[in-house]
Amino acid sequence: MSHEPATDSTTTRSLETGMGEKGLAKGTVGVLGAVVIGVSCIAPAYTLTAALGPTVAEVGTQLPAIFLAGFLPMLLVALGYRELNSAMPDSGTSFTWATRAFGPWIGWMGGWGLIAATIIVLSNLAAVAVDFFYILIAQLTGNAAIAELTQNLWVNIPTTLVFIAAACWISYRGMQTTKAFQYGLVAFQLIVLAWFAVAAFSHVANGTAFDATPVSLDWFNPLAVPTFGAFAAGVSLSIFIFWGWDVTLTMNEETKNPDKVPGRAATLTILIIMAIYMIISLSVISYAGIGETGLGAGNPENQESIFAVLAGPVMGPFAILMSLAILSSSAASLQSTMVSPARTLLAMGFYKALPESFGKISPRFMSPSTATITAGAASAVFYVVTRLLSENALWDTITALGLMICFYYGVTALACVWYFRREAFATARGCFFKFLAPLVGGVILLVMFASTARDSMSPDYGSGSNIGGLGMVFILGMGVLLLGVGVMFYQRVRHPGFFKGETLKRMS
Amino acid sequence: MRLLIGYTADARGAEAIALAAALGGPGAHLDIAIVLPEHTPFSANYPGGDHGYSSILAARIDAWAGEALALVPEGHTARVIARAVTSPAAGLIELAQETGARAIVLGGRKRHVAGFFAPGTVTSALLHASPLPVAMSAPGAVAALHRAEGKLGRVTAFVGTRPGARAVVQSAADVAAAQGLELRIISLAAQDASGQPAPERDDSSAAMRANIEALLADLDLGAEISIASGNNLDDAIGEIDWKDGEIAVVGSSRLARKHRLFLGSTAQRMLRTLPVPLLVVPRNHHTQEPAS
Repeated sequence: MSHEPATDSTTTRSLETGMGEKGLAKGTVGVLGAVVIGVSCIAPAYTLTAALGPTVAEVGTQLPAIFLAGFLPMLLVALGYRELNSAMPDSGTSFTWATRAFGPWIGWMGGWGLIAATIIVLSNLAAVAVDFFYILIAQLTGNAAIAELTQNLWVNIPTTLVFIAAACWISYRGMQTTKAFQYGLVAFQLIVLAWFAVAAFSHVANGTAFDATPVSLDWFNPLAVPTFGAFAAGVSLSIFIFWGWDVTLTMNEETKNPDKVPGRAATLTILIIMAIYMIISLSVISYAGIGETGLGAGNPENQESIFAVLAGPVMGPFAILMSLAILSSSAASLQSTMVSPARTLLAMGFYKALPESFGKISPRFMSPSTATITAGAASAVFYVVTRLLSENALWDTITALGLMICFYYGVTALACVWYFRREAFATARGCFFKFLAPLVGGVILLVMFASTARDSMSPDYGSGSNIGGLGMVFILGMGVLLLGVGVMFYQRVRHPGFFKGETLKRMS
Repeated sequence: MRLLIGYTADARGAEAIALAAALGGPGAHLDIAIVLPEHTPFSANYPGGDHGYSSILAARIDAWAGEALALVPEGHTARVIARAVTSPAAGLIELAQETGARAIVLGGRKRHVAGFFAPGTVTSALLHASPLPVAMSAPGAVAALHRAEGKLGRVTAFVGTRPGARAVVQSAADVAAAQGLELRIISLAAQDASGQPAPERDDSSAAMRANIEALLADLDLGAEISIASGNNLDDAIGEIDWKDGEIAVVGSSRLARKHRLFLGSTAQRMLRTLPVPLLVVPRNHHTQEPAS
């Protein structure tokens, strides 16, 4: 009867109050909170155990130098990200940004790059969580044989799939972690990592270290890395360890003071993270050396997960804390990272860049439904394939991940340059933040991408797994990107709307 | 009468709208609430922040709102309220209090999984904390409502032998009076509840009937009284005959805080088997009785 006109106006008004604020808790995050969010996104306990070994394999003792050098392109690109985020706050994703700047084709691949990177990191996170899950049980029961279970594929693969399925389910149910949980997790990680470093240095001082190596200033010199290829590979790995830091810069409405909090939080976060990375890399190399035998950080046996090997000898009975820190940080990241590919898949479905069913939202849980399940299934499949094909799945996935991050970060950075090409030169500030920083950062990352991709063709690259003489990392990285190109052309033929600019327009 | 509907854009939500329209009767105003979880920055989703999610969600909710309004039968006014809340149950209670709703109406699944009563988490939370009556439907119950052309025909209140019947009877009578419906009062006399052999049960049935008659006289109400007996609760409930378009009203457990709802064990068991929608009333709702 009378419900039509009255209703419609009320509906619109009510929806605006609900959604205009994006459901964000406005102005609740101070500098400390933002630092906690930043550190938690980086998950240092997890990134260190996953990336430290492979990076040492590339650059040897120049590990601290590479960590410092790897931050530069990250910083430059993040500055560009911040500009895009404030220009297009409602569509914050590589997919929409790159589509608006470069049109549907590059936009599609930008989105795919992000999805691929997150799918790969999900499978790696799950695998690390599973390793430390068994190590933790072994430490709790005092039965070392249990830690070996993770080497058995019949145990490892099903357990990893259970972890991925659990994360997928939590994400689908729309559950979120709380403030207290994040504070606790971050504090615990930092304390345990500091403990490890102190314990390692005291072994060095007492002469009980495995291969005491005196700290040298040369370790901080990136030019001492023998080849450009090793340097590029090291940088693309260290991009991964800073992945997550940019979240502090792009926080805005959530902060108590958007003018000051993000900048201060980003600075403080990077100082904390840098300090942790420096003391950990120095302590690992001083304690274990870079030798390729025994506990040496260069030993291929140790590449998968450096703390799994070193925590016991360094921390003694307290190694259980390290297992707990890594298990909790990788499991928490597994769940929160699942949201990312799911939302990008959702956005791609919504704008018809993928079949529309990806655009479904569960009416009960208000979370992407098809997209979340697809993301979980894809990371499960990726993990199983890598585990079966590669001799050292974790090492190869981390290297492939570095490749993928360089790709989508690079594309997004150049999208920033192109998007702001007309307005960037109006002010000196704009010239730096909207043009120079993202341009240099983007070019560095794409060069790293190309160089690492070329080197990874060699069958000796990474863990040394290969198929028909082609390196496993190259096959994984390029395979995923080519798969994307295939899906893109399929979608272009079947549902051309997005590619004709009907759903998401390129800014002209 | 205003009612608040906890709406989800699926079959459940449609059932809730059908039930609310029947419960409210002609001219009722329906506030259709779509609650969504508040985003907390501490969930640390990375990489890429929001990914355009909130704009897509907003578009989706707009579409759902349109679908929901199309489901509202003629003769009712309705609007959709979408709000981000920290917890869906708490959000629904808050909205109901803001809008001055007389009850919160929910849809429901088939109510048992492997023989256990299994309401959703939101329903369950409301059934144990709501300060307002909560009405629930299940697919079968809504089908019965449809056969009665979406209109209520009779209101049945369930009372026990313990104090607290007054609030239930009064609430049921209010619903009946608003639409001029018949009122029926049922007391369940199951052997496993009383533990008495058959002859004594007849005596206690008579006592129950007398209690209810006294209560009705006190409240100045007229109603059909029925004592349902059986060897156990399920038997007793099975004996009751139901009309299409009937609604059952039950009270809260004595565990409930005053003026709060708390579904008791008997009511939970009833939920499993009832073929009609159910309205659960908070303890001491409307009337003030000394606590037992």
